[in-house]
Amino acid sequence: MGVLRGAGRVFDLSLGQLLWSRRTIFMGLVLTVPVIIAVVERLLLISGISALRVNDVRVSGPTIFGLIIWLVLRVVVPILGVFYGTGLIADEVDDKTITYLFTRPVRRGAVLLGKYLAYLVCTVMVVLPAVVIVYFLVIPFRDIPGTFRSLAIDVGLLALGLAAYGAVFALVGAMLRKPAVVGLVFAFGWEQAAMLMPGYLSRVTIAYYLQALVPHAIPSQEGVSALLQALIGTVPEPGTCLAALIFATVVALVLGCRVIERREYVLEQ
Amino acid sequence: MTKRTRVFLGVACGILVVGLGTGLVTAYVGGFQNLVILGGDGPDELAYIPQDARMVAYANIREIMSSQLRQKLRDLQTTSPDGSQRRFQDETGIDVENDIDYVVASSAGPDGDAQGERPLMLARGRFDTARIENLIQERGGVVEEYAGKRLLTQTDKQFTVAFVESDLVAVGSPEAIHRAIDTKTGSANVRGNAEVMRLVRDVDTGTAWAVARFDAIGPRWSGALPSQLPPINWVALTSHIDGGVRGTMHAETRDEASAQNLQDVVRGMMALARLQVAQHAELAAFVDSLELSGHDKTVTLGFSVPAEVVDSLFLKRAARPAPAPAPGEHQEQAPPSTPAL
Repeated sequence: MGVLRGAGRVFDLSLGQLLWSRRTIFMGLVLTVPVIIAVVERLLLISGISALRVNDVRVSGPTIFGLIIWLVLRVVVPILGVFYGTGLIADEVDDKTITYLFTRPVRRGAVLLGKYLAYLVCTVMVVLPAVVIVYFLVIPFRDIPGTFRSLAIDVGLLALGLAAYGAVFALVGAMLRKPAVVGLVFAFGWEQAAMLMPGYLSRVTIAYYLQALVPHAIPSQEGVSALLQALIGTVPEPGTCLAALIFATVVALVLGCRVIERREYVLEQ
Repeated sequence: MTKRTRVFLGVACGILVVGLGTGLVTAYVGGFQNLVILGGDGPDELAYIPQDARMVAYANIREIMSSQLRQKLRDLQTTSPDGSQRRFQDETGIDVENDIDYVVASSAGPDGDAQGERPLMLARGRFDTARIENLIQERGGVVEEYAGKRLLTQTDKQFTVAFVESDLVAVGSPEAIHRAIDTKTGSANVRGNAEVMRLVRDVDTGTAWAVARFDAIGPRWSGALPSQLPPINWVALTSHIDGGVRGTMHAETRDEASAQNLQDVVRGMMALARLQVAQHAELAAFVDSLELSGHDKTVTLGFSVPAEVVDSLFLKRAARPAPAPAPGEHQEQAPPSTPAL
């Protein structure tokens, strides 16, 4: 059976499993936060209460939406990447069910590919509709013509972020026995630290390329972090960012497939 | 794939398609140009403004009226609303605070011909057209048709009102109104004027903004401006009005040397202002907020009047003693206080 056909079979099997798993309930809960913020903002607006203010500066709908996108991109997307991506293969190993997949007449690489595609569809189909709902709750209708372009970019960017983080963590999951810890350290330790370090270290993160594409102003930072950002912050070109993210996704997937093809998984008895 | 998985995917896809589709259609209807350029392309009413416009201004009346600043001003007013405003509302049925969303004003005409200017004002909102028509006719106005639009003209005052859309009224000289209608129906509008639109896109985010050729406003301000100002081509001003006011003023000079000279002049004026307001903390805060910067031929001056400064100014105003009543005017006597023991 060809790789793509095999991946399709695995995708079909895995999509339902992923979609109705506890992880998706967790994802739903995480995404409830921005939706609740948007609903509260809309209710305040409807009830005629004065607009949300920070330091006496009125926070407009597009600004709130921009902040929510930053929250989703910097927190939610990496979390989803870690929890889903690292579990694609590691969960099968932990549950000792990987044998059943490996004994099917599909290439091992197709198993990872199919599961990765299922992860992508599952997360994209939960995250993106939530973002669209938040957009229509937060942005006044008259502002839609002026802000729709940024929504279109946001939607594409979130899908790209989920793809890139998922691929990287799928590789980590295929390589390591306990990948979740490594994934969390990478997403919330290494990436955060590298973004603040001088030199080229930030270029070895996914966040560096994703953040450069965000069409909303970065939330203001204070203190040392703001100073460091001002001193060392560089913004790559959009084309470079897109190429880097696609490159990272493809390379991580190819490496993941190679690892799973060659590695011997020993199941604990 | 189970049925519930298919249902979930169908619903998720539906939300995405409906959401993005609605946004796309709205963006298309509201001006497809919004999708392809970073900044806004100005209000829709620019379609009525001729290409040779020398001044374009915009004010979001609704936002200004609902701003904290306006609320503070209203609180400061001890008397009932302004008599002229009340009379205007009684006669026209227009409640300026609620019925007008925003106003766009422009002035067009050949370069160097300040006398030949054709001022035009467009107001978007809710109007009682029949009442306004009656009012103008009662005062000697005549009704005429022009390109399918009803125009109400007071010939002696060279003043025309036209409801060019159900919720858009144009006010100005008859020539300006005719030209606005012609512009909308086909002639090149100001969106084709790259110089104006470049500045409009820069300032379009403000609650109120204006872009003008300096020679269109310079003569009017000649008394207030230093006589030896370097040559300025365009000025653009944008302001955000809320609890306070913050804004930016750009001046585009003829060349880089002029820009440098202008920066020096403004810097000197700022230094002088700092000396003058040293004793007044609230004004000092405003002067301290001034930020001067420059790039190529553009000089930018940012300013901010924070809400606290506005509050302190208003408090000062409120603390002033009320003016003494005119002689003969009845004044209520305060009850005699208890004598001190």
